[in-house]
Order: sequence, then structure tokens, then C-alpha cells
Amino acid sequence: MAVDVRTTSVPASATPGSRRPRPPWAQRLRSFALFGAPGLLVYTCFVLAPIAISFGYSLTNHNPFNPPTRFVGLENYRLLFTDSEFLTSLRVTTILTVIVVIVPNVAGLGIAVLLDRKGWLYNALRTVFFTPMVLSSVVVSIVWTRMLDDEGLFNQALRALGVDQPPGWLSDPRLALYSIAVILSWQMLGFCVVVYLAGLQGVPNELAEAAAIDGAGPVRRFRSITWPLLAPSLTINTVVLLITAFKIFDHIQVITHGGPGTGTTATIAYDVLQTGLVANRQGYASAMAIVMLVIIAVAAGVTLRILNRREVNL
Amino acid sequence: MKDARLPWLRPVVALVVSAFFLVPLYMILVNVFKQGEKITQSPASLPAPPTLENITGLLTRTDNLFWASLSNSILVTTLSIILLTVLSAMLGHFLARSRSRWARVAMLLLLSGLMIPPQVILMPITQVLRALGLMTTLQGLVLFNVGYYIPFGVFVFTGFLRGIPIELEEAAAIDGASRSRIFWRVVFPLLRPATASVLIFLGVWIWNDFIDPLVILGPSQGTTITTGIYRSIGQYQADFGTVFALMFLATLPVLIFYLFLQKHFVKGLTGGATKG
Repeated sequence: MAVDVRTTSVPASATPGSRRPRPPWAQRLRSFALFGAPGLLVYTCFVLAPIAISFGYSLTNHNPFNPPTRFVGLENYRLLFTDSEFLTSLRVTTILTVIVVIVPNVAGLGIAVLLDRKGWLYNALRTVFFTPMVLSSVVVSIVWTRMLDDEGLFNQALRALGVDQPPGWLSDPRLALYSIAVILSWQMLGFCVVVYLAGLQGVPNELAEAAAIDGAGPVRRFRSITWPLLAPSLTINTVVLLITAFKIFDHIQVITHGGPGTGTTATIAYDVLQTGLVANRQGYASAMAIVMLVIIAVAAGVTLRILNRREVNL
Repeated sequence: MKDARLPWLRPVVALVVSAFFLVPLYMILVNVFKQGEKITQSPASLPAPPTLENITGLLTRTDNLFWASLSNSILVTTLSIILLTVLSAMLGHFLARSRSRWARVAMLLLLSGLMIPPQVILMPITQVLRALGLMTTLQGLVLFNVGYYIPFGVFVFTGFLRGIPIELEEAAAIDGASRSRIFWRVVFPLLRPATASVLIFLGVWIWNDFIDPLVILGPSQGTTITTGIYRSIGQYQADFGTVFALMFLATLPVLIFYLFLQKHFVKGLTGGATKG
């Protein structure tokens, strides 16, 4: 398989072998300059250095339209944790992430089990479910806005069914966040389906058949055989969903602009750019960005560790 | 296993679930061929009679919105994925074959780049680009794409390289081939499946990218096709005919690309999820 890291190791290359002599110093430098340096240079300029600059700014009150820039130590970080706007964005992002980690994971597993058969119908449906993955978030956001608007498709249908005052899916401050969660879940569902289907196809048929002969029903077979063997798929889906949901920005920018009301759908990613590029409080926004980076790294690291532990090898 | 009882149940349930799932895609398709005012009045109805007005209107606009954004998108995406493939294949090969401690450090730094949200680095990026004189230029956007997406390329290539025996390269070295020659003549051709994954995924991601071109190209300096859609909902609030036509035409190339290369998409995605 194309990017399998764990299983395709060929013994010869898996142990680079201390018996091989290291090439001379000058030759190693030359191959670094030719092969390693160009990529690392661009990565350093456009990712590593910006993170360092962000960290530097986070210790200042930098605002390009309000000089001079002063060093303020950890003041920005201290402010963050008493800033109700930031705390709201943290809460909003957390709710969204929890929903989006769970819904496409569960629904995706269900649909994958449903589609785990051979034949043209199932092949075609697989294609259908994956399609949203190649759509731009902007397109997804606009189409869903046409559906969930006060006068959109959903409410027209509800009125036709006799509901007098259908809910404002995107205009009600209590509902908008959940509508966004549904939209992102829809977009990510196909990814989970494809990953689970690949996992299901790796479950040997003989195991399930043997268990069936021993009298295990379908539920029991799923719980004791299929589900444990799907652990690697669960890991991939959960980590990808976690990172995607936590950094959600496009949908907020296109659909709600953080509203309705104040900050009911303003995620951290949205807040960072609003504070930094619209309000120009770049020092403060940089502190937010660094906190965001730390949370995402810790959350992804912990999740990976927990889920990797329960993966079994056949 | 076979579905013993109720053999019709599975296809019926599968079709019903898919029908609900498909509603948003159906929305795009029918509304492209509908008159503007009907899009808000009856969003779900079939376009009767269908009209090509929206599409022709968009293609012949005097401000050239569609053609200008399309050529920007094509240029940025093509240049970015070519540069990314070459640079990440070379870097991936260098790191996979190096035995130095520093190579492992670099690998770790690159892999952590896989989860860095663009919002964290966009503010300093504008300063880096301004210092290089590349802010609000397509070249600046391409360079940013290369830096931001190189971790993915390296991740795919190093994973794949682990399955290619080093003996091949050693044999070529004994025959007197230089490192560059070995890479381009022996290694790179073997990396074809990995190259396909990298080109496909990065192509789709960069084509659909929204916030990076929005910030880097800036408000006045032209748009890519995705930021063009976003601008068109702000400017022409009522004119959903244009918006749907633009969304349709922006999606069409990726969709065709996806339908033809489906197998590679799935393979690239599930490489790590399956055993064997």
C-alpha cells in the first residue's frame, strides 16, 4: 500500500546496519545541500520561523498601527485566561470538536458496514459518500446556507408540513453552532466511510465464519472480531477529525462570521484572525495562536497515544 | 458473509441514506440551471425549463471574474504541486536514507507540521512575504504552499521509501552513478504510486484552499477560484445565479479529476489504515 509505514518494512532497509561505512563528511554535506536543504529552507521560512515570530510577538503589545511595540512578558497569556471572548471561543471550539469527532465516526462506521458488500451499487454509493471531500469548504458552506437559512430549503419543507414557526437554524444563537457541526460532519463523513471500509476489507472472512459456526450472532461477531480489528481505522479517523474540527475556520467565515449574537460560533481559529488581522492586535492574537497550537498538539498527542495502545496485530 | 434474511433490506437502506446525504450536491446541480430568482423561491425544484444563462453570464462578464480566477488557480496549483513533489521527494529520500541524529530531529519537526493550523502562522507569513517583496503575488502564495504542505509530501514519500530496498541504490553507486543520477534514474521512477498520492491530494487541497489565498493575495490583487466564490457572495448578495454557476465551474475540474482517479484517492487515504 502506498503510505503504509508499519507493515511494508523490508528487513534489508529496516536495519540500516552499522556494518555499512558512513560516507565521507564532504560527500554528506554535498548531498544535504542538494537534497535536504531546499525543502528544509522553505519549511523553515514559511512554517518554523513564523511560529518563532508568533511566539516573539506574543510577548509584546505589537500592533502595526499603534507603535511603539513594547515587551510585556507573559501579560498577554495572563489576559487570555480572563478574557471572556477568548474563553467563549475555547468553549465553542470544544463543543464543535466533540460533536465532529463523534458524529462522522459513528455514522461513518454504520454506513461502512452497510456498504461493505460487492457489486456496482455499493461501488457507486462509495463514490457518492466520498464526494464532499473534494469540495471546497466555501462551496459546502454556501450550499448549506441556502438549505438552512430562515427561508431556505429546510424551512420551506417544514412550512409545507405545517410547522408555523420553523427554527432559525443559522439565525438562532442557541442553534447555529450545532448547525455548523452538522455541516462539517456531513463534509467529513465520506472520509470516515472510506477509511472504515478499507479496515473492514482487511478483516479476514474466516474469523467471522468460524465464530458464526461457534454460534456467535452478528452483534457478538462485530463486537468481538470486527471492532477490535478496526482499531487502526478508528485512530486515523479520530485524529483527523480532531485536528480538522479544532481548526475550523472557513465555514465560520462564510456562514456566520462568528454570530449570531456575540461569538456564538466564533472558534479559536476565527478569533485569532479577527484579533490579529482585523483588529490588528497582533501581539495578543499571537498569544492566542500559540495557545491554540499547544492545545492541538497535546490533544492530538494524547489521543494518538490512547488509541494506538488498543490496536492489535493479527 | 451473506445477508440471509431480507436480502432487499440492505440496498434499500443504503439508497435511502445516500439520498439524504446527496441533497446538498443535488442543490448545486439543479440551481446552476435555474433563473436567479427561482433559486431562492424554490431551491429544490427541478430547473424547468433549464437555462444556461447563469453559466454564459459568468463566462462573459466584463470584469473577467471567472477567467482571471481560473487562470490564477491553475497557475498556483500546478506550480505548487510540481515544486512540492520534487522538493518533498528529494527531502524525503534524504531523510529516509540518512543515519544522522539531525535527520530524525528534522523529521520530527516536519511531521508536527502536519497539524499546524494556518491561522497560527498567517500573521507572521504576511511579514515574511513583505520582507521578500512577495506579498500579494502569486509567487508568494506558491512559496507559502510549498512550505506549508511539504510535511505531507515528506510523510508520504518516506513511508513509501521504507519499502524500497537500499541495495538498489548501492548497486548503482558501485557502478559509479552520482547521487543525483541515482535519485532521478533509480529511485524517483520507483516512487510513482507515492507521487500520484502527493499530486492528487495536494492538488485538491490547494485548489480548494480558502484562507491562505484570501490573506496572501489580499483584497484587490486578483483571486483564486475559491476566494472568487467567497467574494461573489459578498458583492452580489441577490445574484445566486452567478454564485451557483461559479461554484459549479470551480468544482467541475476537481470532480472530474476525482471520478477518474478514485482508486488512487482511496489508496492514498487508506494506506495507513489497512494491514498489508
